[in-house]
Amino acid sequence: MGAAAAPGQFPDWHSPLRDGANAAIDQLVRNHGDRFEALANALLGCLLLIEQALRATPPWALIAATAALALAASRSLLFALLAGAGLWLVGALGQWTEAMQTLALVLVAVTVAMAIGLPLGVACAGSARLRRIVWPLLDLMQTIPSFVYLIPAAMLFGLGKVPAILATVVYATPPLVRLTTLGLNQVSADAVEAATAFGATRWQALTTVRLPLALPAILQGINQATMMALAMVVIASMIGARGVGETVLLGLQRNDPGTGLVGGLVIVLLAVVLDRLLQAAGRRLPSMAQPQGGSAWR
Amino acid sequence: MTSSLITRLLALPLALAALTATAPAAAQASATAPACELRHRIVFAGLDWDSNAFHTAVAQRVLRDGYGCEVDLIPGSTIPLINGMARGDVHLIMEVWRSNTPPAWTAGVAAGKLIEVGLNFPDATQGWFVPRYLVEGPQAPAPGLKSVADLPRYKALFSDPEEPAKGRFLNCIAGWQCELFNSKKLQAYGLADHFTNFRPGTGAALDAAILSAVKRKRPVLFYYWGPTWLLGQIGAELVMLHEPPYDAAKWQALAAVKDPKDARDATAYPVVEVLIGANKAFLDQAPRLHAFLKNYRTSSQLVSEALAYMQETRGSADDAARQFLKAHPAVWQAWVPPEVARRVKAAL
Repeated sequence: MGAAAAPGQFPDWHSPLRDGANAAIDQLVRNHGDRFEALANALLGCLLLIEQALRATPPWALIAATAALALAASRSLLFALLAGAGLWLVGALGQWTEAMQTLALVLVAVTVAMAIGLPLGVACAGSARLRRIVWPLLDLMQTIPSFVYLIPAAMLFGLGKVPAILATVVYATPPLVRLTTLGLNQVSADAVEAATAFGATRWQALTTVRLPLALPAILQGINQATMMALAMVVIASMIGARGVGETVLLGLQRNDPGTGLVGGLVIVLLAVVLDRLLQAAGRRLPSMAQPQGGSAWR
Repeated sequence: MTSSLITRLLALPLALAALTATAPAAAQASATAPACELRHRIVFAGLDWDSNAFHTAVAQRVLRDGYGCEVDLIPGSTIPLINGMARGDVHLIMEVWRSNTPPAWTAGVAAGKLIEVGLNFPDATQGWFVPRYLVEGPQAPAPGLKSVADLPRYKALFSDPEEPAKGRFLNCIAGWQCELFNSKKLQAYGLADHFTNFRPGTGAALDAAILSAVKRKRPVLFYYWGPTWLLGQIGAELVMLHEPPYDAAKWQALAAVKDPKDARDATAYPVVEVLIGANKAFLDQAPRLHAFLKNYRTSSQLVSEALAYMQETRGSADDAARQFLKAHPAVWQAWVPPEVARRVKAAL
């Protein structure tokens, strides 16, 4: 379609790439599909455990726990009440079960993202060469349309939650890596030098000085990863992951903007509550984790 | 396919943008012979399945080469496109499945904004399928599985990894009317306690799940419809499960049920007539195009052939349309006056 390039002007790399990729995926599915599915089921078991725990907990207990967490993180009664009220509103909008399914998905995805993103961020902070390799990869992860890898992933891992976690991790990890690296590299050289002068090894300097001082940036990264994960739930529902995303998808597909709005609001509520909790924790944690005399370094 | 999944959410704003942007260009192009009856582009609903893409390509070739009209298409999913059509942003839709028509369509027709122009093909099928290797042959794990009534006995075979005590039924695409009918059928056939109503979300995800299972000879139970390339390609490896025979009165009652939980009785899907739909104001301005669209008629057989051609050659819908116009002149030349047919033929 459109104004095509004259034949022979470019080499034809389209067909070999397309056919090669198709053949490779076909081979993977035929020969290793069962193994991938077993792997997927292990991850799924983990996710189901969290989801069942969340769904089995009475809503009031979860609301109370959230409020208590908010109180501990912020020391503000008003904030604790608002956090509890946010969750209560999710139930009042009739989306409690769906919200718990979504929350379980987000929790697992962010945990996996942290397991990958934090060490990678630390490694990138220490090596400019590694950064030159990793940064373009992060760009790719953030921009490649998820369906490009989601459909093959669905063929390998089965439909539903596992490819959804995969997509969410791919999308949510990059900000965590970037902010971890940024945070570590912004720690003042003087502080590290002082620690080294007192005989700290590189490992000690990292764990007792650099990481604590970089904590606000790292927590910001976790916060961003969580927000990104929540933003992916509608995409996740397009490959059969249940939860609030499905409510939105059904609402849109059935010309029922009202239902779409309810689903959208619930996603926003979850995001706001999680965001504020993490923000409050982010403000309090650094002061608790600061090395002795740390305030003098700020 | 993948890009349209993202684009479908944007279909309406895009429709407006496309219309405002292309109006002057269309006015210039209409100066060339043969003169089109309309000064603006004719916009087709680019529904996201292949048989519709094929019919759209055939009709676009006839309108463009035969009648000298400017044609365009807006990709998207059914409901936003039908809404756009009622507003006049989209003019033509090549596939409206009669028993599955969404309320937006029925309401548009009742309000006199939309019109059913003609019968595209009269024999589309829908049903619940399992692979043949599950039910036939000495090693078959479910030799007694013939009808939906047998399904509870075999639920362990179709075990849903997310809810292992139940089987998994792959419903159709979220938001299609068949998704509602299947949800009601699960209840009416007494399967709701034995099977999870798994909505694959999108057509691409449903196809991926089916093909992945069939390639590995694993169990899978799913809804599907034809004519489609998937049924054209692996139809011989599939068995459609028996359901109680179609009964118009029971079907009406099933359609009227609001909450799937209240469904008590269901029957097989009817053989469906697939219609061509149009925006009424558009059609009233173009009597010659109206006559062509009214005469447009194919069959499930012809469509399957075209879709198989697309899949085998990895060609576009337009390639398949050209192949169809070359191979079946007797079919399509009956739709149009001879001079139009001559021009279409000359452009092949």
